[in-house]
Amino acid sequence: MQRVGEVIEASTTEFTAQCYELYQLPPLGSLAKTREGELELYGVVYNATTSSLEPGRRPIARGKDEVSEDEIYRSSPQLLKLLKSEFGALVVGHKQGDRTFHYLPPRPARIHGFVYLCPAEEVRSFSSSFGFLNILTGSNLSVPAEELTAACLRYISQAYEDRRRFLVAAGRELASLLSGQLNRLQAILERIKQ
Amino acid sequence: MSLDLTKIAQAVGHMVARLKAGRQEKQRHLQYALNVIGNQAIDLEPLKRKIALSKTSWLVAGPVDGLGQRYQAPAAPDEFTILASDGSHIDVDRHRSTRCYLINIGGAHLDYGASPNAALNSHPHLYSADEDLVMTPVAGGRQQVIEGSLLGIKRSVEECRHLTGMAAELPSDRPALALLDGSLILWGLASLDYPEFVVSALLDKGFLNSLEQMKGISQDKNLALASYISFPGSTDVVNALRLAICPHEPADCDRYCDKIPCGKRDCDAVAGIRDRELFLGFLGPGERSALFISQSSIVRKRYGDHRVHFFYLRVDDEIARVELPQWVALDNDRLELAHALILDQCRRGHGYPVALSEAHEQAVITGADREQFYQLVELSLTEVQLPTLTSAKSRSKRTRWI
Repeated sequence: MQRVGEVIEASTTEFTAQCYELYQLPPLGSLAKTREGELELYGVVYNATTSSLEPGRRPIARGKDEVSEDEIYRSSPQLLKLLKSEFGALVVGHKQGDRTFHYLPPRPARIHGFVYLCPAEEVRSFSSSFGFLNILTGSNLSVPAEELTAACLRYISQAYEDRRRFLVAAGRELASLLSGQLNRLQAILERIKQ
Repeated sequence: MSLDLTKIAQAVGHMVARLKAGRQEKQRHLQYALNVIGNQAIDLEPLKRKIALSKTSWLVAGPVDGLGQRYQAPAAPDEFTILASDGSHIDVDRHRSTRCYLINIGGAHLDYGASPNAALNSHPHLYSADEDLVMTPVAGGRQQVIEGSLLGIKRSVEECRHLTGMAAELPSDRPALALLDGSLILWGLASLDYPEFVVSALLDKGFLNSLEQMKGISQDKNLALASYISFPGSTDVVNALRLAICPHEPADCDRYCDKIPCGKRDCDAVAGIRDRELFLGFLGPGERSALFISQSSIVRKRYGDHRVHFFYLRVDDEIARVELPQWVALDNDRLELAHALILDQCRRGHGYPVALSEAHEQAVITGADREQFYQLVELSLTEVQLPTLTSAKSRSKRTRWI
């Protein structure tokens, strides 16, 4: 299982993780998980940032006299130690024992909890039903809910041999979920069509 | 109530007017000083003798290879390492419930070349034991409390010790420069009247002991050690020019010029000029000056093999003073390595060595850190039901009421 970071901020509805390596960010919409006691919390990556490690120190443009971007990091090796990459994940469910629940867990993630990218098998198991779409479409984050829902479905579909079949099924579920919101439905369908 | 600037604005105006009025004269002095330093006719050996024999009230740089030499920086090697350390501290606060102080040493290890890498570290250390707080002479007698300026000196000792520890781990085949911030001369110990056991503990057994270890480490390594002073206020070299133009052989200020008012003496033709102003007009970008020896009495009496030499370096539009122990200064390879790498560091760091600014960032203790530190101390005291008494003065400063 690929470890992608460590929780540095957590609430009931989301958690933020810092990557161990600069720029080693999981993709938008990917399914990540972290542990809290006997619970496993699932989160969909909705936002990623790379910024200065210290709030008072902003990066400055350095490449005027460099021939390539890599050269900037070569001539200032400390940069890799002064920047950090972080990502935010929206909690979309949890697992207790063998059972997966598509609703919020009783407790938030733990600070310093390791964050892993779910392997394909676990992604399939998590998405064997579409209950998690309710939290995604109802989210109110810096990224529009339609963007996030579509990115998540595109990501999950890669775990299936028959991607189209998964996406069509998801589309049906969305049609029922967003029955009175045709514009939103269309926005998502536009983004997942192959 | 904050400072009422309107009440001081007029005085600021007077200060600026005075500076403006003296500008022309200062420019004349600077030009004269530039002529003297650039004068090829000055014989070095007689000047060295005159400096050695003269009695002056000011510190005079001892020339090594001349006065008006200029050296271009050699090219930096392809692969090299820069080490730097810096420190910060929380002083003893007698208004708090516990007597203690904290020293935070920051370090930077930067590798340049085919496999660039960086390691930044900080090592905070809390001192609260009796022997940490008070220095006691072995034979008994007056004790010395470590706080204020003495704590600042102890911090310099710790910075040097940390740098030495970092240097010990260097591979032997890489050119490397170890950098300290500020002067190699522990001026605080020189200028204040500390008892011998204090000077011995901090200087001989502390700072100079670390320099000695660094020298030992450098034996099988291509390692130079230097300290970097940005925007130096020193006048050692200008004072050497004063002696060069002094008509008396040897100079004896008290004997010959005691009755002459300041500004009228022959040597006042270069008065008011700092070394940095002189060398800004004299050195080209990237060039370093000749090498000089510090004639400070503490250096002469105690530094031995680590006797402090220095040169001035022009980095863009600023002059920096670079100090080196004798074993670096008189070894041309190490001297050139220091020149090349300090200049390279300054160019990478927009005028100031990158490694020093990163070490500083690791070491710095902000006002908020200070408060949090005391909160932690007080919380820990409360947890074990120890009293957390603070002075009424301290409380009144923290809780301001009307």
